[in-house]
Amino acid sequence: MARRWPSLRLWRAGSLAPLVLFYVLLTLLPVLNLAAMSVSDVSWAAGRSHWSFVGAEHLARVADDAVYRAGVRNTAWFAAVSVSIQMLLGFTLALLVSRTTRGSTLWRMVFLLPILMPGIVIGAIWKLMYDADFGVINQVLAWFGARARDWTGSPELAMASIIAVDVWHWTPFVFLLMLAGLQSLPPEVFEAARVDATPWWRELTRITLPLMLPTIVVTLVFRSIMAFKVFDEIYLLTSGGPGTATEVISFSIYRTFFVQGRAGYGAAVSLVTMMLIAMVVVLALNLQARLARRPA
Amino acid sequence: MRPRMRIAAGARLAALTLAALAVLLPFVWIVAASFKYEIDITMGRLVFSPTIVHFDELLFSRGSDFLRNYANSFGVALVSTALCLSAGTLGAYALDRLDTPAWLRHALLGWSMLYYMTPQMTLVGSWYVLFRQVGLGESYTALVLTHTVMNLPMALWLMGAFLRDVPVELEEAARVDACGPVKTFTHVVLPLLRPGLLATGALLFIFSWNEFAVSLALTRNETATVPVALAKFAQDFDMKYGAMAAAATLSLLPALLLLLLATRSLVRGLTQGALK
Amino acid sequence: MTRPNRSQPQRRRWLLAGAALASGSPLRLWAQTAAQPLRIAVPQAPWYPSFERLTTVFERIHAAKVAFDVSPFTGLLEKTRNAVRSGQSPFDLICINSQFIPEFYAGGFLEPLAKIDPRFKLQPEVIAYDNTLRWDAVRKVFDAKGEVMAVPVNGNIQLLYYRADLYAAKGLKVPRTWDELAANARALHGPDVAGFGLRGNRGFFEASYDFYPLLASFGGDIFRNAAGGDCTVVINSPEALKALQFVQQLAKEAGPAGVGSLTQARLIQLLTGGKLAQAVLVAAAWPQMDDPQRSAVVGKVNVAPLPAGPSGKVVTTLGHWIAAVPKNLPSERKKAALGYLDWFQQKATQQQYRDTGAVPIRQDVLLADPGPDPKYRLLPAVAASSGNTRLMLPVPQAAEIADAMELQLNKVLVGEAQPAAALNQMARDIEALMARAGMKTGRLPDLR
Repeated sequence: MARRWPSLRLWRAGSLAPLVLFYVLLTLLPVLNLAAMSVSDVSWAAGRSHWSFVGAEHLARVADDAVYRAGVRNTAWFAAVSVSIQMLLGFTLALLVSRTTRGSTLWRMVFLLPILMPGIVIGAIWKLMYDADFGVINQVLAWFGARARDWTGSPELAMASIIAVDVWHWTPFVFLLMLAGLQSLPPEVFEAARVDATPWWRELTRITLPLMLPTIVVTLVFRSIMAFKVFDEIYLLTSGGPGTATEVISFSIYRTFFVQGRAGYGAAVSLVTMMLIAMVVVLALNLQARLARRPA
Repeated sequence: MRPRMRIAAGARLAALTLAALAVLLPFVWIVAASFKYEIDITMGRLVFSPTIVHFDELLFSRGSDFLRNYANSFGVALVSTALCLSAGTLGAYALDRLDTPAWLRHALLGWSMLYYMTPQMTLVGSWYVLFRQVGLGESYTALVLTHTVMNLPMALWLMGAFLRDVPVELEEAARVDACGPVKTFTHVVLPLLRPGLLATGALLFIFSWNEFAVSLALTRNETATVPVALAKFAQDFDMKYGAMAAAATLSLLPALLLLLLATRSLVRGLTQGALK
Repeated sequence: MTRPNRSQPQRRRWLLAGAALASGSPLRLWAQTAAQPLRIAVPQAPWYPSFERLTTVFERIHAAKVAFDVSPFTGLLEKTRNAVRSGQSPFDLICINSQFIPEFYAGGFLEPLAKIDPRFKLQPEVIAYDNTLRWDAVRKVFDAKGEVMAVPVNGNIQLLYYRADLYAAKGLKVPRTWDELAANARALHGPDVAGFGLRGNRGFFEASYDFYPLLASFGGDIFRNAAGGDCTVVINSPEALKALQFVQQLAKEAGPAGVGSLTQARLIQLLTGGKLAQAVLVAAAWPQMDDPQRSAVVGKVNVAPLPAGPSGKVVTTLGHWIAAVPKNLPSERKKAALGYLDWFQQKATQQQYRDTGAVPIRQDVLLADPGPDPKYRLLPAVAASSGNTRLMLPVPQAAEIADAMELQLNKVLVGEAQPAAALNQMARDIEALMARAGMKTGRLPDLR
């Protein structure tokens, strides 16, 4: 393409500079720093840091770390279950509602609320509600004669409770996205379906879902990525417990760095996590490429 | 046909209302808790005599710096949003409209994506050490810079989507009028991007305000933000439910304000990424 | 008037001397750097409000200013760790919790108080708290003849809290042994009120902290002789097994639901909400019992020293806080900090501290008659416990060791692990980390 402006290169460089600078200084450099830390022991004295090389000792220990392995398992499980439920609920609600246009701004305001709240506030709210002794959930259960339960303290229920909080937190987000998607679909297709007296389930599977696929995929990817990063709710509600029932990757790393003060080992864990995610990305891209090549 | 449609419409309304209640009731619960005495909270009393003792402790006691935390949150969110929006918009424009070579585009967007996928915590340890080594440990600068970079992928993506709504023809027209690249950007593209900028800016502000994990690790008492201050009241050793609820209630204010003033903008921002 | 600014400190000295005479104590003369207030790093703890109120008195008497930096428990640890390792400490005094005292002493980060001013003397009435105030820098252990490193700021020990009204209703007596306590618990346990609560939460010194008095009074321990340098792990001993089985049994029979998530806050909550009859809690939780804003059982709770084990041994775990002076400070600030500490340890000050609702750190003040106010009814129990205090883990690796214990204890209490296996696993983990730290260690053969 012929150069449109003589000074294009300069402007391009200038426009990209802030972005590149941020990324290089605050993401690339720290990754390299992590690599360096993961093979050393870092300690502080008199305001200066002291590094000593320890080789692959930290990295080897990550493989043995039962708590970290539990964290990876839990995070994957949490993401899978929580996101599935949210997508299902959000999509269903959006389907039900897509033809209601009355007072749509009011509904939007209400459903926007959880997304705009700090995660820590959501944790605080549910900490109050889940409390085994005075929480409103157990109180309501008591009215119906059911037994009070220890939502965040019993190994069986803890993960489910966290998932419930995440579902409550993000279903409105999925709902709004699905709704916007549904409302942007061409109405002629549905008109045609109605004229043909298509049953609702066929309309759903043959028309709605295929048309919504891009939106669904994007929402799914978005939510999955965010689910992997979960931290705030765990911090407030369970601290990874009971045992390792709600241990998640972010919390393990936090604890290693900032509670136990082990910078070298924490860096090793961080690196391993990044490598795991990179593997997942490569697999997903591979899958996508393979699906794209398949005849429609 | 009519009565069946009315039932269906009624059912839809009921489903929506139920969902809305499910969303709103927890908020009502915590706001109510912030006005209860501690014993009323821990006894789960629904009927109670209200008090402002927790707000008093939060705002005016010696052990709490909440007003300062609020100011910190506001300042950090404002500055990081401005930085993020600038870098993101300029970057998106350069990637889309300034003939960036394909390899650079893929590299930057790919790295953006990869970075966005990793949990913040993986980098926080390194940030902590690096900032401390340059003497910026637990400073406002550290917080602003990290908030900016954390939201950059989102800013890049959203502004990219909004940019694609601006027709290229307009820029070509401007070029025909002998406008330089700067003028094209500021006089043609930017005004059209304004709603997008507002939407993205609102979201970025909220995300920075809400940020907890990184702020927890990279601040000390003076630079602590609102979420970090809130967590202070929720400790296993000395749980202060009333103070926690009061802090939570006050933390909701910016979001509520934004909701009342900018619902459409926010929705546009959130849906833009998904639909384009 | 040769030097214009000499009259100011001169006048202040007269004021201070006057105040000293008025309070009846020998006063340190310390130079206050008027420009900067005294900066103290404190925890967000139940006793902080009392400490704050007392310091207001200090500010008035000395025309001084004190700035508190209040942080949550773990945040404070991180902060103080950083402070002593930086170029210059941002705090003049740092509060350190009992569990981390060895770490800070062994690291050489704190200035021995006598080095700041040789005239300083730790008054004999200040409770020794298992010698945690004195350190032998050569052998790196606590020693009754070691250098004084700190002054305690809070006499937090474990006590037995019980509902006196429920005791009276069932005709029960204050238990002298753990078996008597268990009997009381079974008698009091009901659908609305649990019999006895002990922390089972896996956190930062939670389940392990509450287990220790039982472990020790049954004759068990973590190390064979940590104070003497022998860190052989003996946690998986038959005595420890008995103690753990006792705890497990009692929790099952008479504990509140959800023992795995019983935190200190929750135990206090259950007690003040009237849903728990007995609990082992720290002395610092006392003010909440009679606070009508936070308690539904005002006036009904009493405290007693912890019961004895099968051999008659009584042990209460230390959870106290000390205030120490970092080394990385200019000497005037160290002197100012020491002046505060010296004022704090005086009898008159401790009496005022007691009156604000805190647990004083002097035995004479604990034993003195505080007056008729019922809020002081915990003092005799604290006084009686002063001689039985023990620091759980007198080694710098305390946090990691406690963490290894927490996980296993939690598992036993929620039923995920058996006591013998849990103790064996604890022994393995603790030995491994002591070996990594280069300490002389070993371990007992596995329990069957």
